[in-house]
Amino acid sequence: MKVNVDAGRCQGHTLCAMIAPDVFELDDVDGHATPVDPNVPADQERKVAEAVRSCPERAISTS
Amino acid sequence: MSTADPTGAEPTDEDRKKVRYPFERHTPEYRGRFEEIAGEMHARCPVAWSDTYGGHWVAAGNQEVFDLARSAEYLSNDHDVKGERRGYQGISIPPPTRAGRGGFLEMDPPEQRHYRQALNPYLSPAAIARWIPVIDELVRACLDERIESGTIDFVDDLANIVPAAFTLAMMGIPLKKWTIYNEPAHAAIYTPPHSPDMPRVAELHGAMVRDLFGQLLEIKANPRPGLVDALVHAEINGASPTDEDLIGVLSLLIGGGFDTTTALTAHALEWLSEHPGERDRLSRERDTLLNSATEEFLRFYTPAVGDGRTISADCEIAGTRFKEGDRLWLSWAMANRDPKAFPDPNSVDIARSGNRHNSFGLGIHRCIGSNVARTVFKRMIVQVLDRMPDFRCDPAGAVHYETIGVINGMQHLPAVFTPGERIGAGLDETLDALQRVCDEQRLAEPVTVHRSRAKLAE
Repeated sequence: MKVNVDAGRCQGHTLCAMIAPDVFELDDVDGHATPVDPNVPADQERKVAEAVRSCPERAISTS
Repeated sequence: MSTADPTGAEPTDEDRKKVRYPFERHTPEYRGRFEEIAGEMHARCPVAWSDTYGGHWVAAGNQEVFDLARSAEYLSNDHDVKGERRGYQGISIPPPTRAGRGGFLEMDPPEQRHYRQALNPYLSPAAIARWIPVIDELVRACLDERIESGTIDFVDDLANIVPAAFTLAMMGIPLKKWTIYNEPAHAAIYTPPHSPDMPRVAELHGAMVRDLFGQLLEIKANPRPGLVDALVHAEINGASPTDEDLIGVLSLLIGGGFDTTTALTAHALEWLSEHPGERDRLSRERDTLLNSATEEFLRFYTPAVGDGRTISADCEIAGTRFKEGDRLWLSWAMANRDPKAFPDPNSVDIARSGNRHNSFGLGIHRCIGSNVARTVFKRMIVQVLDRMPDFRCDPAGAVHYETIGVINGMQHLPAVFTPGERIGAGLDETLDALQRVCDEQRLAEPVTVHRSRAKLAE
């Protein structure tokens, strides 16, 4: 699984990093999220799926 | 989404507004029938025209609110108080009688973005994490004031004090001044305009603004770190903001920082008291449930119930044709109860998954204090669970806001619990000690300047 955060949509709600702290990191200044690594480890896939479903801006996608 | 009708025909107003709902959110009836009204709108008219308050659109459906809130190119938050632009009326419906611009929440980009860029490094997750020892110590002192008595008013004795004192600390205003700011910040929301108490509230509000202005002048003359200093030095569209704009922005930070977190905390504690099994489960499984419970309380109790917008260009969004100048109410509260987005929406499920609620808004105006609100809320809840685990709220003494047109808040929430022992100093002494910590460690600097976590003396 690969994960992407659309920087144009993310508004820094931070839910993804709350749900999957090992996958998403937040910018120190504005809290916007980026994946630590676009390749999601198998044991994180469920958490990432939950982050996708929880993002208020629907900014996260997987492929 | 499109801006042109393919037939080229201009739709008549009657045609555009044929889906109607008489929407009146400033009455006690709306509070009493909230779930019924939300359910009716979701089923029949997720976007409707209402003739109330000079006529405005109401968006209640989750998908519709999402599509609209994110259409920044067709929406304006501008409050043109001096009639210099297009006369838009900002985010309140009806517009407030006290005319003043509500800070950057009543501005559009680029000004709005410049303000947020100035404040973000004080309010990001990394910036707020530095303050946790200070927040915990404030909560500890509030609980110590009541712990031996076995009684507490969760609003007056906890949920009012911590957000107020902490917001002032971040601003760079002395913590002990929280009393000047606290009552007007809440009372200005819950006191209806016709109330006999209004002159007193207006007087308190005046005293708060005078103090705020004094702080602003003092910080301009003798800089000390914090949100006030950040705003004083902000460059907004290449210029320094006027004092009038600064007071508007500072009032927004106070209005946003105080009443909303109080409202969330009080409602959550009331619910946990009514559901002691869930309260014990949350306490036991806090490592996995505290985050999801917080989001669920945010969804269910939506402290800031909605925001107004003005349509800035003719457009069709979510199946409705809007015209430039139309007013629109985005109901975060109703969107949060849409069964299409949330299974069993009118129940609280502290383990709810896929909880993409709108309680901090959506799009470019996302609540800039969301990290403050979540952190302060969680720190208050866990200490109450630890130190007053058997608390029981008294329904007869609980006072909810009579109307929930702006904030779904609470004025009082008395509770009893098994008394415990004090573990530290009282509130006044603690505020003095924390003030020294704030000053000596310059805690109110932005995270870009000061990265380390607050250290409290043992």
